[in-house]
Amino acid sequence: MAKHETPLLDELEKGPWPSFVTDLKRQAETKPECWDILGQLELSYKDRITHWKHGGIVGVFGYGGGIVGRYSDVPAQFPGVEHFHTVRVAQPSGLYYTTENLRALMDLWEKYGSGVTNLHGSTGDMIFLGTRTENLEPLFWDLTHDLGQDLGGSGSNLRTPACCLGESRCEWSCYDTQEICNHLTQHYQDEIHRPAFPYKFKFKFSGCANDCVAAVARSDFSVVGTWKDQIQIDQAAVKAYLNGDEGYPVNGGAHKGGDWGPFDIQKEVFDLCPTQCMWMEGDELKIDDAECTRCMHCINVMPRALRPGKEKGASILMGAKAPILDGAQFSTLVIPFIEINKENDFEEVIDVIEKVWDWWMEVGKNRERVGETMQRVGLPTFLSVMEIEPLPQHVREPRSNPYVFWKEEEVPGGWDRDVKEFRKRHAA
Amino acid sequence: MALSLEELEAAIIEKATKSPKPQLYVKDFYKCDPDAKPRQIKNVANDLVKKGELMFWSSGSTTMYARPDRIKDEEGAEGIN
Ligand code: HEM
Ligand code: HEM
Ligand code: SF4
Ligand code: SF4
Repeated sequence: MAKHETPLLDELEKGPWPSFVTDLKRQAETKPECWDILGQLELSYKDRITHWKHGGIVGVFGYGGGIVGRYSDVPAQFPGVEHFHTVRVAQPSGLYYTTENLRALMDLWEKYGSGVTNLHGSTGDMIFLGTRTENLEPLFWDLTHDLGQDLGGSGSNLRTPACCLGESRCEWSCYDTQEICNHLTQHYQDEIHRPAFPYKFKFKFSGCANDCVAAVARSDFSVVGTWKDQIQIDQAAVKAYLNGDEGYPVNGGAHKGGDWGPFDIQKEVFDLCPTQCMWMEGDELKIDDAECTRCMHCINVMPRALRPGKEKGASILMGAKAPILDGAQFSTLVIPFIEINKENDFEEVIDVIEKVWDWWMEVGKNRERVGETMQRVGLPTFLSVMEIEPLPQHVREPRSNPYVFWKEEEVPGGWDRDVKEFRKRHAA
Repeated sequence: MALSLEELEAAIIEKATKSPKPQLYVKDFYKCDPDAKPRQIKNVANDLVKKGELMFWSSGSTTMYARPDRIKDEEGAEGIN
């Protein structure tokens, strides 16, 4: 494949940051089709229009997802990218790989594709960029038979569930994120591999409000660890932080490069507590746990003094999405606390999931994310569909609308009344 | 559901054969049996893919269904993301 002149792209190599143009040129030495990526992109820069075509009927037999079809609309000029499909490979929970497995995956991709990868894509999967239709079935065979791995979700499927590394390495995890992620991945195989919904649907599991998988920003169904009881306080360790003792670096030493002066608990913790529920009484740290919103900030700053409570579970938030149709939005809190229970195969969570699905599949428009459906009907309606009583935690801000609307079933006797009877007591 | 499995399958195939556009959303099949739950219809449609009566067709971001004999262009349609 011919090398193309790419003066415009070459500009992108001049900055101080790493350049994908340099990377692709390097890759082109062993995978010549990469010249054609560069050539076609250069042409797009000149023409000011994309030369990629989306979609079509590409995939592996029996699966309605996992492969994202891409074709060039100028294949005669750039035969190397005539087909340039993306393969989504499901990532392991918590993104743990053995080097052996990574090597096997890379060998597979060298054999059947361009060798260009993105670990990991926005959905969570490993993204293998660029292969031809005829390579898909052999690649899928080797992936599933030799490596025991599977494709992830795409299109209107359940997307590959993702989780933070949770209890495997993080003492803050309020539930076993990897366990539920893996369990639901197995439980919903059909939904992952075959289209099921009006549009995509994503689960993500974070063990605490630090939300390392960005569940609240990226998933329709965000499960975020939390606790019911009190933050556990070690008062002796609080004093050690206040004294600046060795072994008690603020934020676990994360920002120690800067000169921040001595630790100022008022400024660095109390003033930043979103609910202002912390104070010192003498040399005792006090927290009004009824007000605490479990944001993790104080725990992040003083990890040896504070830890999550003992009665652990998760909050469920729903409806995050990227800005494709409307604006981007975060998930909205729907269930403040739910138990995450391995013993009954996460039955409580599954009940909630299927209740949303049943509703959204019925009421959601084509290509409408559940967050958009929620917005369209309004939170009060959504909560009643979910059979959830409105709670203070659902309220974003004090109301500015003075009207209260009652439903007929909420009023004793409904809308019917005897006007004559009423007028006897209240003259018109 | 009101229809038997065979009737529902036949209704879905008919819908996919006669629709103005060859590609349909799963939602377009709901009307084949208004009494069935959406997830039942989805399962039947996916089964029809296994049987070769329907095929998946990807717009790039949404997965649709089509009768295989109505899709000619090997490379799919352009311009739908
Ligand atoms: C001037 C050219 C390009 C620019 C400025 C650019 C920039 C970006 C940026 C900023 C992201 C988001 C990364 C993130 O979320 O962390 C992204 C994602 C992506 N890029 Fe590029 N890119 C370019 C060209 C390309 C080309 C040529 C390809 C494929 C051959 C490509 C494939 C992708 C894919 C698949 C993603 C999504 C990955 C994901 O979901 O995380 N990009 N790009
Ligand atoms: C003008 C050109 C393009 C536009 C406007 C575009 C737009 C988008 C958007 C909006 C997303 C969704 C991002 C997200 O929700 O995370 C996306 C994802 C993606 N695009 Fe494109 N895209 C373009 C070109 C391409 C090209 C050239 C390729 C490959 C050859 C590509 C491959 C992908 C893949 C693989 C993903 C999913 C990545 C993942 O799984 O995280 N796109 N694109
Ligand atoms: S989200 Fe919380 S529990 Fe999970 S890895 Fe991050 S800090 Fe730890
Ligand atoms: S977790 Fe957040 S809200 Fe709760 S006490 Fe700490 S800083 Fe305040």
